[in-house]
Amino acid sequence: MKRAGWYLIAGAAAGFAGVLGLHGAGAATPSSPGPLASGGAGAAPAPAATATGGTSRSGDPAAPSGGAAPARRATGAVVPYGYGELSVTVTVRGTQITAVSVPLLRTAEPYSQQIAEQVLPMLRSEVLAAHSAQIHAVSGATYTSAAYAQSIQSALDKLHVK
Amino acid sequence: MGFDSVVAAGSRPGRRRRPALPQPHGPRPALARAGLVLAGAGFGAVTALAITDETAAEFRAAGGAATFIGSLTGLVGTYLALLMVLLVSRIPAIERVLGQDGLLRWHRRLAPWPISLLAAHALFITVGYAQAARAGLGHQVAVLLTRYPDVLTATVGLGIMCVIGVVSIAAVRRRLRRETWWLIHLYMYLALAISFAHVLALGPSFVGHPLTQVVWSVAWAATAGLVLCYRFGLPVVRSLRHRLVVTEVRPEGPGVVSVICSGRELDKLAVAGGQFFFWRFLTRGMWWQAHPYTMSALPQPPYVRLTVKAVGDHSAAVAKLRPGTWVAVEGPYGVFTKYVQQRPQALLVAAGIGVTALRSLLEDMPRGAAPVVLLRGTRPEDLVLRKEVAELVRYRRGRLHELTGTREEAALDERSLTRLVPDLHRGDLYVCGPEGFVTSVVDLAARLGVPAEAVHHEAYAL
Repeated sequence: MKRAGWYLIAGAAAGFAGVLGLHGAGAATPSSPGPLASGGAGAAPAPAATATGGTSRSGDPAAPSGGAAPARRATGAVVPYGYGELSVTVTVRGTQITAVSVPLLRTAEPYSQQIAEQVLPMLRSEVLAAHSAQIHAVSGATYTSAAYAQSIQSALDKLHVK
Repeated sequence: MGFDSVVAAGSRPGRRRRPALPQPHGPRPALARAGLVLAGAGFGAVTALAITDETAAEFRAAGGAATFIGSLTGLVGTYLALLMVLLVSRIPAIERVLGQDGLLRWHRRLAPWPISLLAAHALFITVGYAQAARAGLGHQVAVLLTRYPDVLTATVGLGIMCVIGVVSIAAVRRRLRRETWWLIHLYMYLALAISFAHVLALGPSFVGHPLTQVVWSVAWAATAGLVLCYRFGLPVVRSLRHRLVVTEVRPEGPGVVSVICSGRELDKLAVAGGQFFFWRFLTRGMWWQAHPYTMSALPQPPYVRLTVKAVGDHSAAVAKLRPGTWVAVEGPYGVFTKYVQQRPQALLVAAGIGVTALRSLLEDMPRGAAPVVLLRGTRPEDLVLRKEVAELVRYRRGRLHELTGTREEAALDERSLTRLVPDLHRGDLYVCGPEGFVTSVVDLAARLGVPAEAVHHEAYAL
């Protein structure tokens, strides 16, 4: 068969472009694929509803609480990962991270939810110990860990910490 | 009842053919092109999936690169495995383009890729996860096997694939009996089936993406359906329809026998001269294996004939078949037919038992074909079926050359071939025989200026 290779390559290019196009379309419309991303970022009915999407500062320089550096709080970006999406809220005092919570966690299916619930406390204690987003991923939850670290980093960026 | 009358009928002028016969036909290039584009599209799609399921941040994180490679090799490897299964699923449209030996050649050439890619997938995913978790490899392996759903079965599947890969290495395979190797090889279906679940449960391109889940599942279900249909369903239906039974086993020459089977509705079997079937003789020792043997004459309802040379356990057992044995068939397969002929002139060359395909191909050629036929054998008695061939050649106003002697005495080289067939480069060349013979004649034809698309061959692997 003549030019068999060209037909293969043309097909491969079409398939590649097709998936990229579908992926792009899916990313552009937040309410597209499946159980994920049913709402916009931060608009989720999440527990501990501090997720306002922006920076919420409790504790002003004008009204210091406790005498030391003021506590400031920010919610990081909603980070989609392979099995769901999450966002992390960080409270800092100076350069010390004093509290971490997860206002938004949505997963595709129960198994991923279970994994995430297992590892979130571990990730939280790592962050509280390291005082940064530079944490070790938890074995068996690589994607969740990476998303957690990324959301924390974006929160710290909003607070201009480091 | 003998086949002499049958042969005579085959060469009788004006043999009647009913118009409603299902006609065999040649390759359909448009279908082949569509298949190629589709195969390429799948490849492009899985590559794109692997790229889109990893965000830049995940890639930069610890273990991200290894995880990405692991996911890419996994997707591409699984996709290639799907293509390998399709290649040998006997889909008629593919078979008519590549022929059985072409299919197997591509299958053999490509099959190492999915196995090594999937092994790499397991390795890189483990390394990537271990790096991300700053854990040891051993610990990570234990975590993967015990805490991740369906990974244990997938690992067993990969183990089976690796065993199959090892026994298929030429050096190892030569030490095994063909039947042993074939049985081991069948476990690939099991390996693929038990590895399927972990892709949907864990693959980041699939979890939470119903579209990819559905497309992936449908592709595999369709492949399984095609395999079941063409490797299992169709042969069963055909065998039940024609109900072939061994009628006579007759010696044709040293170590060569013809088996004549009778059956029903053979006029409805669309078979071209030069094609072959997988034959399954339903005796106690042979029922579980099907072997490819060429029909050495077009069916003459209610009879078909195959001619077999005893070279292995199975072909030796064929000579001892008793009349009344039930026969199941799978086929017909092969592109060694008149439908692939490009130009009006044809040279037909056969060595040894390759004469069987040549014999039925010749019978299928029209009266004015005037083919040049060259039979090659070590001893004159090795030229089995030569009388039948001579009669068919004479009826088609062709020429017959017989070349006997050792390879040195009666060499088939540039000089002897151009002397016998001076206008070789103007016609098509059909070659049939042992693998080494076919390769040497095909090379010779290329040197003598016969274009590749005008060379048709069928090699007998022992």
